[in-house]
Amino acid sequence: MADDETPPEGPNGREFSANGTSMSTADVEAKLDRGNIQEAESSLRERLSLNSEEARTLLGRLEYQRGNVEAALRVLDGIDLQAAIQGLQPSNQKAAKLVLEGVYLKAKSLQKLGKFTEAAKECTSVVDAAGKIFPQGISDVQVESRLQETISKAVELLPELLKQAGNYQEAMATYRRVLLNPCNLDNECCGRIQKAFAVFLLHSGLEAGPPSLGAQAEGAYVPKNNLEEAILLLLVLMQKINQGVVQWDPSVMDHLMYALSLCSQTPALSKQLEELKPGLFHRTERWNFLALCCSGAGQNKAALNVLRKSLNINEKPNDLTALLLAAKICSEDPHLAAEGVGYAQRAVDNAKGVDEHLKGVCLRILGLCLGKQAKVSSSDFERSNLQNEALKSLDSALSLEQDNPDIIFELGVHYAEQRNLNTALRFAKKYIDITGGSALKGWRLLALILSAQQRFAEAEVVTDAALDETGKWEQGPLLRLKAKLKVSQLQPMDAIDTYRLLLALVQAQRKALGPMKTDSQVDDKVKEFEVWYGLASLYSSLSHWKDVEVCVQKAREMKQYSAELLHTEGFMHEERGEFQEALSSHINAGLLDPLFVPSKVRIGALLPKMGSIALPVARTVLSDALRIEPTNRKAWYHLGMVHKADGRLAEAVDCLQAASMLEDSDPVENFISIL
Amino acid sequence: MSSSATSCIQTLSSILSAVPSSVSSSSNPSFSLLHDPTVSAEISSLLRHPDSGSGDNNLCRWLYDTFYSTDPELKLVVLRYVPIIAGVYLTRIALRKSLAGFEAILLALYAHETTARDGQPVSVNVPDLSQPSIYHDAKGSVKNKTTELNLAVISPTLEPHGTMRSSRRARIVGVALELYYTKISQMPARSKVEFCEFCDIWAAGVKNERRIPLPWELLQPSLRILGHCLLGSHNSKELFEAASSATVSLYRRSLHDIDAKAILATGSLLRLEKMASDPKLSVDHTEIDMSNVLSL
Repeated sequence: MADDETPPEGPNGREFSANGTSMSTADVEAKLDRGNIQEAESSLRERLSLNSEEARTLLGRLEYQRGNVEAALRVLDGIDLQAAIQGLQPSNQKAAKLVLEGVYLKAKSLQKLGKFTEAAKECTSVVDAAGKIFPQGISDVQVESRLQETISKAVELLPELLKQAGNYQEAMATYRRVLLNPCNLDNECCGRIQKAFAVFLLHSGLEAGPPSLGAQAEGAYVPKNNLEEAILLLLVLMQKINQGVVQWDPSVMDHLMYALSLCSQTPALSKQLEELKPGLFHRTERWNFLALCCSGAGQNKAALNVLRKSLNINEKPNDLTALLLAAKICSEDPHLAAEGVGYAQRAVDNAKGVDEHLKGVCLRILGLCLGKQAKVSSSDFERSNLQNEALKSLDSALSLEQDNPDIIFELGVHYAEQRNLNTALRFAKKYIDITGGSALKGWRLLALILSAQQRFAEAEVVTDAALDETGKWEQGPLLRLKAKLKVSQLQPMDAIDTYRLLLALVQAQRKALGPMKTDSQVDDKVKEFEVWYGLASLYSSLSHWKDVEVCVQKAREMKQYSAELLHTEGFMHEERGEFQEALSSHINAGLLDPLFVPSKVRIGALLPKMGSIALPVARTVLSDALRIEPTNRKAWYHLGMVHKADGRLAEAVDCLQAASMLEDSDPVENFISIL
Repeated sequence: MSSSATSCIQTLSSILSAVPSSVSSSSNPSFSLLHDPTVSAEISSLLRHPDSGSGDNNLCRWLYDTFYSTDPELKLVVLRYVPIIAGVYLTRIALRKSLAGFEAILLALYAHETTARDGQPVSVNVPDLSQPSIYHDAKGSVKNKTTELNLAVISPTLEPHGTMRSSRRARIVGVALELYYTKISQMPARSKVEFCEFCDIWAAGVKNERRIPLPWELLQPSLRILGHCLLGSHNSKELFEAASSATVSLYRRSLHDIDAKAILATGSLLRLEKMASDPKLSVDHTEIDMSNVLSL
């Protein structure tokens, strides 16, 4: 019992006031403390000219205020409230006010005693009585303000009591009844009920079915399940907040953020953030949320633009989450990598104190940015410096987070790109172990490393094992890899069979999945284009020119402008001895995609045939190819031949030596293709 | 008393050291089985045993058979252990032990959900408020009858899986968690606490247990469960505390993964948790007027 609770203010401050007279509560409290309810009641009736019900209601409130809820109930038991409710007349608001206040007080007292079911019963009778007193609905009548207040409170309390009583279905029904026929609730109260209902719908774990269509206006949107209904209510609340109808409540935004991000609807969340009045969030906080929304929807460029604002030196340049997200986005694009290095370095410097646990992640992203930056570096010296820094950074990241599979994988790729294949192999295996083989890219990395080691049969075993572990929709990249491994093992017919499987898969996939595909691993599904292109290359290696033409044509239907296809055609022309056509195909490929290396290599190989006048151009094109792809064996070879033709024998030897060292370390697909 | 429940309890009594008579002779044995703390504690500890989960494990066999019984209440008993089964299973993947017993149960749950949903995706509409709804009037004219809706897939199409392919593992376990979530209001608090404890381990690793990969297909259903544990209508302080701790762990993990959606979802839960436990913010608007002047 809470009898010993101190009232909010001393008894001396409290007073009764009725019929123009006031009196201190001290006397009455003393009587109540002695257990003399009767005496307390009569003293109140005499001094303030009250009837028994009025006096009891005031005494009940006094006891409740003093924290004596059981005593309050005892006092109220002296009034037959149910009979009073039955006798209420629509015309007599004064009587209604008194009775309903009494019943409501009872409900609150029962709630405090943990008697939720009984409390809900009392509260229900208040709500029902309100319906009876105002049968036409409450909104058109002038309602006495305290009566309205009691009714509003009862409407707000009832579903809470039902929830506390564990009567969830009834709570759900009550919420809907209240919100679909609001009894003149003020905006704030209505807003609170909407929020409470949305939270209940989101988190109760009950699926109560959609609201009935009943008396709804035609054409109005009706949510069809709990989650939809919750989202609708939260959006309506946000609209009211934006219109200034109800006060800002940050928890509404958080509930909406939770619901929409679980549905992957971060663009809808961006819209809400953009519509928010200024001042509710700090602007950098809002920018950072917006960036997360954009990034969550795959719009990384937009995310980065917003982050650049919030990370500006005059805003919050050291916000770790923003720094990490910005650096991660930059790490995916060689041309942003240098900018990313800046963010990542700042993140490393700021990962201390409570954020110390993020140091490994910061170092990881720094390593990725450095590695990416190395790819567009213009000098060999700078490139090898950056590569060393990248590996150093990834290594320190690993020492801080030894079981972080991302770091293990990325180290594997880095070592593979450096052609440190044994180390790369170790990391690839470790990655598969630690992820339990759940990530496709682990299998692909392992197979590619093995292929770079010219262990094609083993690479195929790995690919087959991976195919076994994969659902059919995700098998595309593995089948493509397998086809290429077959080509490398000089089994063209098997390769063609594998491409056929792949083609069937790709076509079935396009039909079956449609817009509903959101599986995490379907993103890197093979496009039909790649199949036709792969087949074209295969036939071209077999000199089946008619088939090459058919496949190229098919592929061109999927992708009209493609450097790859131009390269294949160029190769075909070369083989047919059509020198000019070959050269122009390769040049076109280079114009279409300035980073496309194979055509540059072919240009470098073809030009010297035009005589010594073309040698400087060939040399430039090949150097350019090597800048983009330093481990391209053919580029080194042809560069060596150009030097030789030009009489620079020492350079020629260096290049040819490089080519021979790289000879046996090309994977069947570029390592970068896995990332 | 249903015969399936009786035989089910009989088999269980040969696996556990004892099944209390309060369960075996209960008028509603399935319900008692679900809520009896002694039985739950023993089953939980057997499931956590280092050798649990193999193909010939009696308890796994019992859970598998029980799930296929016709009594829907008995299905709930199996679902009650989904947190431990999923939790122990995923943390043991890297150990390369046989976990066929766990896998059989998880595949059974997956198959059940696949059938129940006919493989169809679950989607949610995010409405555009320029059109009226049951909860609001739209200001503008209703000239554009087709309300603009954003369709959000919250659980994609389910393909049948007869075996646990490693690349589908997260999805299969995720669907088992989705099934658990649909019955979560009937689950004992202890079961949910166990789930929260595994979230801690999954997110960051604890002692000997390594953290595990948390792709969205596993994280998303986990966050729905966590939302319930944190903000649902229950009054278990133990559950709230376990859920708070799991929220912190998963938030930190989503920062480690730099996973934007996960940062938004866990970050919002974290702020809601702070607000929920801040007494200054819990104003009771239904409270009686407490002013010093008591008037009529």
